[in-house]
Amino acid sequence: MSSTAKNPSIIRRSLRRTIFFIIAILAIGSTFEPYNQAQLAVVLIYFIGVLSVTILTGISGQISLGQGALMAVGGYSTALLMTNYSVSLWIAVPASIVGAGIAGALLGIAAARLSGPYLAGTTLVIALAIPTIANRFMSVFKGDEGLPVDVGYPPSWFTNLFGEPSYEEWQLYVALPFAAIALFFASNLLLSRTGRMWKSIRDHETAAALAGVNYSRQKIYVFIIASIFAGLAGALYGLRGLVGPSVYPVALSLTLLTAAVLGGIRSIFGAFIGTVIVVFLPDWIDLVLDNFELSEQVSNFMPALISSLLLILTVVINPAGVAGGHHHKHK
Amino acid sequence: MDTFLAALFSGTSRGAIYALVALGLVIVWRGAGVVNFAQMGQAMFSTYIASTLIQNGNSYWVGFFVALFAGAALGAFLDILVMRPLSNKKKTELLSSESMRAAIPVIASLGILGVLQALAGIIWAAEERGFPAPAAQEGFTVAGSVMPFTSFDVFVISIVLITLTMTTIFFKKTGVGLAMRATALNQEVARLSGIRTNFTRTLSWAISGAASSLAGLLITPTSNLSPNTLDLVLIIGFTAAVVGGLDSPAGAVLGGFIVGLVISFVTFYLSPEDVFISILAVLLIVLIVKPRGILGGKDSRRV
Repeated sequence: MSSTAKNPSIIRRSLRRTIFFIIAILAIGSTFEPYNQAQLAVVLIYFIGVLSVTILTGISGQISLGQGALMAVGGYSTALLMTNYSVSLWIAVPASIVGAGIAGALLGIAAARLSGPYLAGTTLVIALAIPTIANRFMSVFKGDEGLPVDVGYPPSWFTNLFGEPSYEEWQLYVALPFAAIALFFASNLLLSRTGRMWKSIRDHETAAALAGVNYSRQKIYVFIIASIFAGLAGALYGLRGLVGPSVYPVALSLTLLTAAVLGGIRSIFGAFIGTVIVVFLPDWIDLVLDNFELSEQVSNFMPALISSLLLILTVVINPAGVAGGHHHKHK
Repeated sequence: MDTFLAALFSGTSRGAIYALVALGLVIVWRGAGVVNFAQMGQAMFSTYIASTLIQNGNSYWVGFFVALFAGAALGAFLDILVMRPLSNKKKTELLSSESMRAAIPVIASLGILGVLQALAGIIWAAEERGFPAPAAQEGFTVAGSVMPFTSFDVFVISIVLITLTMTTIFFKKTGVGLAMRATALNQEVARLSGIRTNFTRTLSWAISGAASSLAGLLITPTSNLSPNTLDLVLIIGFTAAVVGGLDSPAGAVLGGFIVGLVISFVTFYLSPEDVFISILAVLLIVLIVKPRGILGGKDSRRV
């Protein structure tokens, strides 16, 4: 990453994107009702998780169906720090990414040997197996009951400066700085030499090796970075109220992948678009379905049906996703 | 000793079903180069069809054979509708890199799984329902004590063994089977020698669909039927296929029995909660020690 320091224009570009992102979210968030503010907070949290899929699958070409398990690692680390040692969330959340990074390194060492469907299946088993550990060590992880944690209340200097926010608004303000930092890092990474190196591994491993890229080592690095993003997302996701096995199901991993593919698996902008689609799709479908007389049985499964259909259509018709197209310029 | 026998018998009976699931995965992997994560979604769908037929007063065997045909038809339909367009558009940018060519079909099959599960929820509601077994599920009585082995287990193991024999004969002794093996070996060369590769690919999806529907019919009497029940079976079947070797049908069968026994012994001697961690352990050990599986070929990564 030393190359990013040499090239200030990359940092400037990433900084510009990040500032624009913060202003846009604050402007949109202030016009929303509390329910939609909470939804927007979920968008920010998922966005971090989707970035981990974008980096892992879109940039370096390694498919993972187990990012939910790494989110669980981040969530449990935060919850354990906050409940057992009463650490503030502003310390617990950054600290928890260390745990996720270590888990990612272990996973990466195993995964660097695998490719394609082998990797997909193995990470799927991991997504299923890791949350069951919570039931194995009941005394620490409290089993299915889980560990209750939340974002708490804003500090007094904040309320003095900006007035008393609603709980949903505060959820949004807690998620925003982390999402902004994640966006800044992801943007830097993609624009830098490291990002180009990872893209070369995706496009052709042997060609990358001939160009001097140690792809086995780089694959492990990608896994560590992606796991840090996933761990951060998982920590914030748990802060919505509970950290438990039911919060991080296999479906969560698949939701992240769906969002990344729908929006455009190779771009940060695509990751954000996909996240917005996945989070708000159920509400939009409800708006449309309200005009028809449908049984609950139908309307309950409609969001899953539509998003899966969109996933298939995207892959078959336009694999580059909504934000595709313009992002494919290779220098 | 009783526990040991119970674990052994239940492991063998379950293992036979996992072997069937693994065989379905191997057939599509060899025939079409795709690991089909939607496979047990297809099986769930055809088992629901059988269940509806039986509830409406038809005999078990009508439901059984209709489900097998429905499974085959659904497999062929999915290949023609989703997978064939995918495999015929390799020139687009996203698919042009070697890693994404492997990832895209996986994502497509996950989409298919989601569609099938949502449709099943819409059509049949999400509540669990039972599924009948064609044979008694009480243990045999030998010398006054009840053995942990039922006539349904005998039925399962014999029907699985018949299926496995039939598939082996099909692949080894028939012209179509030969054409499918040729396609698996090298699609381009197969096409050049006059084999209709689109047809053989669709056929492998159909055979795999029928095999996994059979697995669904055999496993639901001991679990229950709901849109999500068979997800775990797919993951276990995948592990079995990788343990045996993803490109070897005989390996799939071996892997099925190994994984079935591992799960059974862990359940009986440790606790059911450790099952998934032990599956993960088996999978990782095999992938590290012998990445191509026990009966898989030599490591032949194409450049």
